Amino acid sequence: MSLIVAEGLSKRYGNVVAVDNLNLSLEEGSVTGLIGPNGAGKTTTIKMILGLLKPDRGVVKVFGQDPWDNTAIRSMVGVVYEKAFFPAHQKTLEYLRRVCRIFGVPESRAMEVLEVVNLQEASDREIRALSAGMLQKFAIAHALVHSPKLIVADEMTANLDPQARSELLEVVLRLNKDEKVAFLLSSHILPELSMVCDSVAIINRGKVWAFGKLTDLYEKYAVGIIRISTDSSYALEAEIRKKLSYVKESDSDIRGISVRVVEGKEDDLYEDVLKLAKNIKAKILGIETGSASLQELYRMAITAKESE
Amino acid sequence: MGKGKPFLEVLASAIHEDFRFPFLELFAFFYALGTFVFASFTVGLSSQITTNEAIAYSVTNSLIGGSLIVFILLILKNVAYGLGNELEKGIIQTYFSYPLRRRGILTAKLLSAIGVSLLLFLGIQISALYILAPDIVFPNLGTVILTYAANLSYPLLISAIMLLLTLKLRRGGMGLVVGIVLYVAINIASGIAFFVAVSTKSPLAFQILSVISPTYALQYHYGGLSGISDIFSVPWVPTLSEALLYTGASYVIVASLFVLAYVYFSRRLNL
Repeated sequence: MSLIVAEGLSKRYGNVVAVDNLNLSLEEGSVTGLIGPNGAGKTTTIKMILGLLKPDRGVVKVFGQDPWDNTAIRSMVGVVYEKAFFPAHQKTLEYLRRVCRIFGVPESRAMEVLEVVNLQEASDREIRALSAGMLQKFAIAHALVHSPKLIVADEMTANLDPQARSELLEVVLRLNKDEKVAFLLSSHILPELSMVCDSVAIINRGKVWAFGKLTDLYEKYAVGIIRISTDSSYALEAEIRKKLSYVKESDSDIRGISVRVVEGKEDDLYEDVLKLAKNIKAKILGIETGSASLQELYRMAITAKESE
Repeated sequence: MGKGKPFLEVLASAIHEDFRFPFLELFAFFYALGTFVFASFTVGLSSQITTNEAIAYSVTNSLIGGSLIVFILLILKNVAYGLGNELEKGIIQTYFSYPLRRRGILTAKLLSAIGVSLLLFLGIQISALYILAPDIVFPNLGTVILTYAANLSYPLLISAIMLLLTLKLRRGGMGLVVGIVLYVAINIASGIAFFVAVSTKSPLAFQILSVISPTYALQYHYGGLSGISDIFSVPWVPTLSEALLYTGASYVIVASLFVLAYVYFSRRLNL
């Protein structure tokens, strides 16, 4: 069963198209990552899914229903926003108890969820006295109070230290495995998503550029990636793009270049890259093939789409 | 699960924020101060007024004066600053994750921001009337209620306008400025209306003003202000029915603006 179905979603802010004919679905029990650059339309998409924004066009259904002002959906969905805000002058445990009463769950659940995020020691603290990281943890505890079937999180780990991040990812994995909670997670921190997600939607310029099971996307975009470590990655990549027609996709950062070539041309690439490097006096530090990271998958998918 | 509990919890949370220490204590003190200390029984009505209703109106009106400013200040704080801040910071988004309809959330916020302020205001006022002038006021309860209704109409109009602005802009700064400007503007407008009415011998300016602030219609029904009305002849003595009509019309405007705010909040507000 699809928990979220978005079809042809579009949203404009004045002349800016934030989301353009976006299609997305999220299956029961899955952990789906929403990745894309700043301004890609991730937050707008999430807001439309949560019924905070009305789409200009298209349809979004959550648990088969329109999410706008829908109280039934709110009882089944937990929400973590990028910037979490709560009534500032209330104490954490006191406020979570209130949330328990709102959702009609036992008040003892308040302490349980604080323990889940390791925040029990701050139970007597006012919300305004929490640090940014603690506030984010509190937001996650707040989202767990009513044991939702789906948690939608926008940049959930943005304000957390590495230790807290890995703890939270463990919470995600545990809830998904033990309680079959589905997650829709948007994040810029791709290594994190690769640890927990089974599906990924790559969003760029308001559209879904690639969407599917991670294994399928690796198959499609990231098999046969060759990494070239060099001290002049941008210049060498420009040469490669200009002179090697059998290179299907390429992408570079300061440390090196990732390329995919037409099948059977791998050996040619080694020789040609060495020649091109020599011509522009670039130093080759290493060339290797291997499995791609989510970061590389993301960039190769973007490059592939842009060249279409 | 019933719908009552989420509503009551959101209301309790809103009251907790709006009236946290020391706001409740401070405003209750100012209300008491405004009612008992700054009530001016000497600045009343024209010397022509002698009926029991007019005296009851005069006493009630005198009591309201100082407290009404406190009421307006409290509404400015709760609607423009409180709700505006919650919209801007995203606390309303958090409320939108609870199983409560949007209109329920707005009702809880307004009950806290305006309803509790009004209860405080009326509670202290009624106590004062009971203590200070029970013999004059209670036989003329209709006049007293009408005086309160007429006096509260304009502050409620200000709060409805502030609410609409705050919702539209999703922040309270502009609503706060407009609220203060409107509060000052009505006093300037009444001065202008007075001189226009005296110089043109036409009550039109007062009639227009009374639609948004019916306290003027009631004031001139009972003979106008003391001193000024004795010197200048204001060409307007509305009947009680007219004063009631102006009061009713002003509440129709206030109610329409609140309905508009509800419709916007429920159907259009994108966060």
